[in-house]
Amino acid sequence: MAQNLQYFLIPFLQPEMMLLIWVGVFAGIWVGAIPGLSVTMAASLLISFTFSWDINSALALICGVFVGGVYGGAITAILINIPGAPAAIATAMDGYPLAQMGEAGKAIGLCTTVSVFASFVGIVVLAVAAPVIANFSLKFAPRDFFLLAVMGLLLIGSIGGGDPIKGITAGAVGVLLSMVGMDPSTGELRYTFGNLYLMAGISFVTAMIGLFGVSEALTQFRSSGMKSPKQNLDRIIPSWATFLKYLPLSLRSALLGVFIGALPGTGGDVAALLAYDQAKRSTKHPSRPFGKGALEGIIAPETANKGAIGGAFIPMLTLGIPGDAVTAIIIGALFIHGLKPGPMLMIETPHLFWMIVSCLSIASVALMVLGLISVKPFAKIIEIPKEIVMPVVIILSVIGTYAIQNSVVDIFYMIGFGIIGYFLRLYGYATGPMVLGLILGPMLDANYRRTMQGAENQILPFLQGFVTSPISLFLTLSIVFLLFSQTATYRRWRGLE
Amino acid sequence: MRKRHPNKYTNMKGMRRMKKLCVALLLLSVMTGSAIAAYPEKNPQGYIMWGAGGAMDNVARAITPIAQQHLGKTIILQNKTGATGAIATTFVANQPADGYSLLFGAENPNLYKVAGLSQIDYDQLDPVLLMMANVGVVVVAKDSPYKTYKDFIDAAMSGKTISVGSTGPGGLAFVATTMIEKIHGMKFNKIQFDGEGPCITALMGGHIDAVAVGLLAAANFIKSGSVRGLAMISTERIPGMDVPAVTEAYKEYGPYLPWGAFFGVFVRKETPKEAFDALQAAYLKAYEDPKFDEFAKSMGGVKLGLTGDKARAYIKQNQSVSAWLLYDAGGAKFSPADFGIPRPQSK
Repeated sequence: MAQNLQYFLIPFLQPEMMLLIWVGVFAGIWVGAIPGLSVTMAASLLISFTFSWDINSALALICGVFVGGVYGGAITAILINIPGAPAAIATAMDGYPLAQMGEAGKAIGLCTTVSVFASFVGIVVLAVAAPVIANFSLKFAPRDFFLLAVMGLLLIGSIGGGDPIKGITAGAVGVLLSMVGMDPSTGELRYTFGNLYLMAGISFVTAMIGLFGVSEALTQFRSSGMKSPKQNLDRIIPSWATFLKYLPLSLRSALLGVFIGALPGTGGDVAALLAYDQAKRSTKHPSRPFGKGALEGIIAPETANKGAIGGAFIPMLTLGIPGDAVTAIIIGALFIHGLKPGPMLMIETPHLFWMIVSCLSIASVALMVLGLISVKPFAKIIEIPKEIVMPVVIILSVIGTYAIQNSVVDIFYMIGFGIIGYFLRLYGYATGPMVLGLILGPMLDANYRRTMQGAENQILPFLQGFVTSPISLFLTLSIVFLLFSQTATYRRWRGLE
Repeated sequence: MRKRHPNKYTNMKGMRRMKKLCVALLLLSVMTGSAIAAYPEKNPQGYIMWGAGGAMDNVARAITPIAQQHLGKTIILQNKTGATGAIATTFVANQPADGYSLLFGAENPNLYKVAGLSQIDYDQLDPVLLMMANVGVVVVAKDSPYKTYKDFIDAAMSGKTISVGSTGPGGLAFVATTMIEKIHGMKFNKIQFDGEGPCITALMGGHIDAVAVGLLAAANFIKSGSVRGLAMISTERIPGMDVPAVTEAYKEYGPYLPWGAFFGVFVRKETPKEAFDALQAAYLKAYEDPKFDEFAKSMGGVKLGLTGDKARAYIKQNQSVSAWLLYDAGGAKFSPADFGIPRPQSK
């Protein structure tokens, strides 16, 4: 125990590490806020950059960027309705309406506070229960990931705008577009027309930048003459009463985030979407209706994606299995520095575990300070005329898209999606379901096929799996309940209570 | 010029002038040619065909920072992924042959032609250095009933359904599994995952019975006892790994070996010799650096260090085994014979 405490204190005793964490958080906020620049990208750049450094310093910087970056995505989502990262897609749903009412400061302040809280929830779970959760997460079969993807698709009901047909259409187009490229199972080429660049598939981040970034910019040009709402910046930090009021929701969403983050291959984006849906369904009396500025609609996704940070480290540090894309890169960094990430990491280099826990904690404190300091300057962005902000958004979208995989073709995709998105909005289709389809499509497709392959392509064993495995049964019943709870019968029954 | 001297005579004079001009241009180009001898005069770009955090990415990012110290310029690394590396391969093959565009490539291009994916593969490129090999290893869960490779094969031969992980036709897992199926004349139930890491995760979670993956992905899991290594798909044991070679139990594997994935640095053919030699010298020095040794050891990779004809022969052997196995298993669109790829020879 004393030993662990000693490891925990490593970053506190090295001013250089402390500084790097703070620098990391600050840089991360900006990287996260700019659409297209992602934490994954920053982390992989930092690995080359920090090659000659001591591994501790490199990890300190990467942890800082991780925490700051996940937070930064929410800033642009709230201020200009353009999520900086996939994990902030749901945040824009209610954050932007709040900013339109002049409440951007309040929204970001609340977002910062609950983010720090959720980040600590993730860290505590990581420190206390990592091995247990890691082993449980291994039990998730392809069938269960398929069910999670189905659950995610139900979110179309929440973010699809008023018309369900339009929402489902946009979602279906998204799923269809996600199928372009090489078949994950047979290597067969789908919808590629012999074009090498279509073979690479359509990256959902490219689509996201186009559908949210450029199409939002184009849409806002239509209302360019309008005056931006004056922002109320008096009460940025939420009161204790507010914080306590939303504590149960924050804790629930954060824990959901930790768990989804700990599942290999799913990260903050899926966690935030599921948490938003869950909050929308479970909150009886939101502060305002969902989609029109409900505080719950900011709290749920933002606590889930921060919880997912600690969660992602759980399988990485205990089993050497990455919980998401960023931890996959950190594993690579450890290899390059001559360490052995994997089940032996905790035994051979026990200090790493507690040092990472400590770095993440310091980063969360830094997030609190830096986040709250920058609320005012950030909120001012919204008062800058759209004629100036939106062209900047378009330029950043182009740079961000190119940076994903240094591909000029992606820029054309992105602009194409921007124009499609503009017309979708014009005719009352929400762009969210399309991005959702693009994110969840591959997860749905690959895991359905895996489950089928596991059942040797027999329909009966395939179906049996859904009721014989406890995890699958629980997930199946949850989906059935989610669907049933929307029926008139159920509502009448609840209403009679 | 033509306006001022419209007659035939001056045209002749013009021709002579043109000749002089041509000679001057030629000289100039020779001079700039000698300027290239001062390679590198700018930062070369390195394109990694697989994504960040993967084995290819790790190898490239481990060796390049050492190599660039010897080269004297920064090699700017970037991941250019897609279509199992065909995007990056095509890209580098279409850049000028000046030694400023490097491809960090694995074995995948060896199957582009038979898979109908692309006509551009290592035939258009020259290996600067093959750094590491990734030998296949068959692993099962730590609580698996199969204690030896023979147990495992016997169970599969008895008609029991055994689910194995795969990473897609042409991937190491797929080709290795196909090799096993062909040699023993049986079939596995293949389940597709996104990579070798997810295959091992599925194995540990009990969702598949076995998987053949590269040792790089499995070494630390085997050493820690999280999974059990049954056999290395090679003719000899790997130092430091307590896993028997597959030929110890079954001699039939011989003709297919040595076979495995590899990681190398490539540039376009026709790259000026000065540039090629400078790059090769830098990467060879980095390859011999103790820091890279340590990296290779911690990852469980087998150092290759092949250049020139030896590297080419290694690539061709891999292509011959993989392409024919894939084709015989019905996983290839075109016959390797169409591209002059010979069947693996028994030795």
